[in-house]
Amino acid sequence: MSIPAPLTADWLKTEEYRELNFARRDLVINPAKACQPLGALVCALGFDGCLPFIHGSQGCAAYFRNSLSRHYREPISAVSDSMTEDAAVFGGQNNLIEGLRNAHTLYKPKMMAIFTTCMAEVIGDDIKAYLENARKQNALPEDFPVALAHTPSFKGSHITGYDNMLKGFLETLAEPRRHSTHLRLYVVPGFDPYPANLREYKRLLNYLGVTYTLMPDYSDVVDAPNTGEFKMFPGGTPFSALREALNASGYLFLQTYSTQASLKFVKNVQKIPTEAVPIPLGIRNTDRFLTTVADMTGRRIPAEITAERGRALDAATDAHPYLHGKRFALFGDPDILLGLTSFLLEMGGVPVHILSSNGSQAFAKEMEDLLHASPYGREGKVYVGKDLWHLRSLLLSEPVDMLLGDSHGKYAARDAGIPLVRVGFPVTDRVNVHRYPIVGYAGVINLISLIANTFLEDKDRNADEAHFELLR
Amino acid sequence: MYVQLDQSEPKDFCSSPLPGNPLLCRRALPGEGAERSCAFDGARVVLMPVTDAAHLIHGPIACAGNSWDNRGALSTGSQLYRRGFTTDLGENDVVYGGEEKLYQAILEISAKHRPQAIFVYSTCVSALIGDDIAGVCARARKKVSVPVIPVDAPGFLGDKNIGNRIAGETLWQHVIGSRNAGAPKIPRSINLIGEYNIAGDLGGILPDLTKLGIKLQTAITGDARYTDLTQAHRAALNVLVCSKSLTNLACSLEQQWQTPYIEASFYGIEDTSRALRNIARGLADRGLSGWTEEYILRQERETRQAIAPYRERLQGKSAVLFTGGVKTWSMVSALTELGITILAGGTQNSTPADFERMKARLDPAARIIEDTSAAGFLTLIREKKPDLLVAGGKIKYLAHKMRLPFLDINHGRKRPYAGYPGMITLAEAIARTVFSPVWDLTRRPYPPARGGEGGNEDV
Repeated sequence: MSIPAPLTADWLKTEEYRELNFARRDLVINPAKACQPLGALVCALGFDGCLPFIHGSQGCAAYFRNSLSRHYREPISAVSDSMTEDAAVFGGQNNLIEGLRNAHTLYKPKMMAIFTTCMAEVIGDDIKAYLENARKQNALPEDFPVALAHTPSFKGSHITGYDNMLKGFLETLAEPRRHSTHLRLYVVPGFDPYPANLREYKRLLNYLGVTYTLMPDYSDVVDAPNTGEFKMFPGGTPFSALREALNASGYLFLQTYSTQASLKFVKNVQKIPTEAVPIPLGIRNTDRFLTTVADMTGRRIPAEITAERGRALDAATDAHPYLHGKRFALFGDPDILLGLTSFLLEMGGVPVHILSSNGSQAFAKEMEDLLHASPYGREGKVYVGKDLWHLRSLLLSEPVDMLLGDSHGKYAARDAGIPLVRVGFPVTDRVNVHRYPIVGYAGVINLISLIANTFLEDKDRNADEAHFELLR
Repeated sequence: MYVQLDQSEPKDFCSSPLPGNPLLCRRALPGEGAERSCAFDGARVVLMPVTDAAHLIHGPIACAGNSWDNRGALSTGSQLYRRGFTTDLGENDVVYGGEEKLYQAILEISAKHRPQAIFVYSTCVSALIGDDIAGVCARARKKVSVPVIPVDAPGFLGDKNIGNRIAGETLWQHVIGSRNAGAPKIPRSINLIGEYNIAGDLGGILPDLTKLGIKLQTAITGDARYTDLTQAHRAALNVLVCSKSLTNLACSLEQQWQTPYIEASFYGIEDTSRALRNIARGLADRGLSGWTEEYILRQERETRQAIAPYRERLQGKSAVLFTGGVKTWSMVSALTELGITILAGGTQNSTPADFERMKARLDPAARIIEDTSAAGFLTLIREKKPDLLVAGGKIKYLAHKMRLPFLDINHGRKRPYAGYPGMITLAEAIARTVFSPVWDLTRRPYPPARGGEGGNEDV
């Protein structure tokens, strides 16, 4: 490379570099994904009394707790069995057995979820056999519920880990399906970093009068009220509901890429009536969610919800000039990106760059179909398996008005001189973002406000005196 | 759960086979918690503040995805060190090995990002699949124009301390003295070992040094330039700020480069003064010692004046202190200077010496926290009911749930507490949380006596 060192920073912003950047193969720069066990931990937090148990190196566990604590601003409980060099040689069985015994005695959970880090996976630990031996050695009571999942970080990402863990719960702890099932709809949110989204689902389902179980439901765990006492297990989907999970009348998945294996398991293996809808982000997706629930349960959508929808439409019409024609770049997990794109398209926003570090080819295809179905989607290009350094090149060479994504996007946004509206995981530099739902009709209003008001804030901050006006 | 100081010797609790582990704090037991990070993280912490270097993590997404730019070590120059470089090892790499990928990644970084050096970190996975990091670095070095330095601290080696130590050894072996090996010492110059410039801490120390005519060669490592590090052997004195596990580095430098070292802390008024005084003495410069005394007197007076209003309000408040390294003992003094009584102190990541020092400075009635798990912590807080908890970020939200004012003293903090100006910032930060009206708000009985059935909340 013949670029003199002092000019490197500028050169890294050029079109020429963009091409070289996209030819980059063996190096990832500023990754926008976390690892499988982090997702598994998030899943495990959604079951009542469940202690996440990380089989592997202790550093991983400390990292997960740190990352999650910074996003939710909440204490996150998990234990690790601290495998070290000797375990790498002899296997981690002793660590697992001793760890289960200690964790059970110390924290008295109602159940545990064991999942693995790379270390245990590389040496090939048989956690199923280890668990049986742990029971034989009385490290745990014979009938103490434990779910298992293999979650190597060198495969997939946090959404894969969430999925594998959920499937692990169903396979290990749900009772076999009987002939006569109950009339309970099981709703699976998927990897959703907003406890407020989960509360919103429950609120809408309650309005509909549906008998349902949201699973897993961590909203009371990562958004617990301040009572002056720390409760290690403040809530979640109860074990009784998990045990009966395969006797559901039906399953509704509100994300598909973060629930692929679990969805296949209930639909194809267990033959339970199953529907999957895109995350209810935007008017259309929320309509679809509610109609699907109505169809599956025979309930009618009540007047309160229709009124709510009307208010969201009113917010959309009032704010449409601030979004129509604006150009956006988005990055994040596949499901949330599909929802955000659908929302932007219905508001007349123009998604230009859509980047997903952990997106598959199937996701890219689905996204392209969504874009092609709208006149506002024609410019949109989808990038999967790319990182935030690629995104930076895109923002600098093909400018947009706003970036939507998690806090890690702030550097690229700053270099491009555009605002970042924080959506997704993790958000570590703003408060209470996870406490506002972005799903449902309420979510439509929140998203419109976030985006439009950010543009307006920018306008005020940068306006000269003559254009600094009361009315916007 | 915890022991009275006078009842037992710390070593009674320490059966750790690993040297350098903190007393009273044996290795993490499987299943007891997930408080402690790993050797990889320990190495990252020490080396990441080499700001004009690239830091390449040879591992799966876990290690880089969770750690890029996750610490508040600031730079006044290059921001390259915050860029998250990783080989993002996948399943195929685990099966077939990742050496070629690593080699290509090093070439890519060197060509496009222009670092002054490239640090390459091994991880659990790269170590277990047997990738020869040192070999790849040596091979790549022939192709690129900057040093390529292997950092062999996979997470499974153990606690953070071990990683700190390995990073120190790496600097000693590969970096310090690699340029101008024969050059003479620079008069009145020092290195600060174990100063990471968290939240810009150096900004509270540097002006003092400059005014006294002392040159900071480099912090090892904080806001550090690679070239300055290569010549760290030219400093006349090493000042060990965070003794933790970098003591070995100070010792190695003394042996190889005949640089004497002293230990010091820049937290709190008295410790800052003592540090400056001892630096002057360590540099064996009578003139310097003379004007340092004058300088100290003036600074102490001004700082005491500035914190007086805070001290007046904080007098009689109580705190529990739980931190690591140098802060273990220096925070004892800093809090005492603010009139705060320490009810209990504890540490996970400290050397025996740090621990002994903490013990010596604590009131004999204070407790030593032995059970550092969440459960142990909760019991302690319920029993002691302190007005303030001073600890690392992992405990912050636990404290908030307990309605306990909290001060983050570790790397997650956003404000500099070092030196004389840092003491004022510290006082202000403590007052901001201790006197927040939000705590009164949380303690209002609810539902009110006339209210309905709102659920009985424990207050």
